[in-house]
Amino acid sequence: MTTASPTQIAPPSANRPAAGLSLSSLWTLYTLTLRQHQHGKRWMIMAILMLLPAGLAILVRGTAHDVPRIAQEFVFAFMFIPQALLPLAALIYASGMIQDEQEEQTITYLLMRPIPKWAIYVVKLLATLTVTIFLTVIFTALTYAAIYLGTDSNMSDVLLRCFKACLLHSLAVTAYCCLFGLLSLITKRILIVGILYIAIFEGLFANLAFGIRLITVIYYARLIAYHTLPFIATIPGGTENFAADAWQLDIATDPTLDTYPHMGTCIMVLVIASIICTALAAYLCSRREFHVKTPEKA
Amino acid sequence: MYSESLDQISGPAEVKPDETTIVAFHDVSKWYGNVIGLNKLTIRIPTGVTGLLGPNGAGKSTFLQLATGQLYPSQGTVEVLGQSVWNNPSLNHFIGLCPEQDAFYEWMTGWDFVHTCARLSGLGRADARDATARTIESVGMTKHKDRAIRGYSKGMRQRTKMAQALVHSPRVLFLDEPMTGTDPVARRDLMDIIQRMGDEGKSVVVSSHVLHEVQSLTPNIILLNHGRLLAEGKVRQIRDLIDKHPHHIVLVCDGCRKLAGRLVSWSDVEGIRVLDGDRGLTVETHAPDAFYSRLPELSLEDGTAIKEVYSDDDNLEAVFKYLVNK
Repeated sequence: MTTASPTQIAPPSANRPAAGLSLSSLWTLYTLTLRQHQHGKRWMIMAILMLLPAGLAILVRGTAHDVPRIAQEFVFAFMFIPQALLPLAALIYASGMIQDEQEEQTITYLLMRPIPKWAIYVVKLLATLTVTIFLTVIFTALTYAAIYLGTDSNMSDVLLRCFKACLLHSLAVTAYCCLFGLLSLITKRILIVGILYIAIFEGLFANLAFGIRLITVIYYARLIAYHTLPFIATIPGGTENFAADAWQLDIATDPTLDTYPHMGTCIMVLVIASIICTALAAYLCSRREFHVKTPEKA
Repeated sequence: MYSESLDQISGPAEVKPDETTIVAFHDVSKWYGNVIGLNKLTIRIPTGVTGLLGPNGAGKSTFLQLATGQLYPSQGTVEVLGQSVWNNPSLNHFIGLCPEQDAFYEWMTGWDFVHTCARLSGLGRADARDATARTIESVGMTKHKDRAIRGYSKGMRQRTKMAQALVHSPRVLFLDEPMTGTDPVARRDLMDIIQRMGDEGKSVVVSSHVLHEVQSLTPNIILLNHGRLLAEGKVRQIRDLIDKHPHHIVLVCDGCRKLAGRLVSWSDVEGIRVLDGDRGLTVETHAPDAFYSRLPELSLEDGTAIKEVYSDDDNLEAVFKYLVNK
């Protein structure tokens, strides 16, 4: 039988931090995740994609002078960005938070630190939100600049609309990140599942005038936009409310619209959904094994 | 017969934690679907340096991942320093792991990587800086600390992994195949580092499938195969087990056929095989000590020139092969 050395093992002593949560550890993990995002190629892909609305807006300004600015804003800033780019950005960033660490086998270095697994997830999510919100704000502002800069529009009004759009997009991208972060812990094929979700739920269901759109992020984002920003433009023969038509939120044709969630409710739904997704994901993370090298992998 | 023999060196089935136990597995099994990683393993690892041996797929990495709380046992309990390791991150203040996988944040410099690990371990800014400098120096990487890890050789990468495991001054170190892929110089240096850690009073569990590496690090070994404990104890104890079974001794000599004729009459000789080219004999015996003691007498009696005597069974490689093949 093994011969034990006479050295006595004292229990883990009190002269070391006993609790798992140390601010310096968490801050280091936060900055590490920011740096990981910075060193990846994702931000370049996202930057190119998110420049598209601004590029298209410049193209429209140069080729079709009679398109109302408000219509351009609606299409590029409130259709293209929140429905296509924000979920895509969230998917690309949030799906890799944990899966990349696992696939690149660096997660061991995190798991071997005195940081609870749920905290690893939450901190990485916060860093991911920082990056995605930063990109969202920058490229939303660029889109507005491409539409309105150098025109005779009231700039203070444009700035206010831009500010509101940035806030709305930040809220939407937060909800998407929390959702895709959770999904990435449930399925290994998060990119496929995420794209299907974007296409079916956010693309198809959100446009159906039924209760099913209540489970989409974009529905609440649209309601907030509809409540806070007018999308009415003067066209030959009168005025047109682009949002009412495109989003099927026309109060003239839908008398029940008043009973739809108000702006405060929409914000609350998105915030609470984000918190629930994060809490669920953190719980899953805390219960989960992260296989790095096992017979399965071998 | 084999299992009875193993019992003699494997220790009791019941884990009785004592003051010297750093790692305790009690009836631990781990399954990955239908694949068994570990199978009903009960073991106590004492302080000091312990070698974890086994071929690829033996369950060494599963053992270390369970011991470091990365995996949850399908059955049984795992304790380190008297505490359950699963979901016990504060225990990581006292544990260091040098993982087998050659994975890094490649864009970091060696210094940056080790410093980040120090900070993640909860060290303050100044402490982390000092600990990083000290640890990088201890693994001989000071000269290369400002280079990007992606440009490191295998040996440098292993040293850097070792540094991140040491930077928070853990009490127990788990090293998963630390010498894999390194050149002889790096290998010798890494072995020096491990021995130094043992001398400094740290407990080290080092896994390897290269048996002579572990043999030169520590006499305390654990042998795993197919997720099962084959044997545990001192190399000598395991050799004693071998002595209960046919033991192979090679005699290099001239006139080996004549010698074979004499040996065949010895009661403790089980069999004799002449080596290729008549350059010697391989003698199979159950009583190697008695056999060795009679050899000088044999030489004197008839003037047989035995040039060399050695046993393949003396090294861990043979012990391991013997146990696994059984």
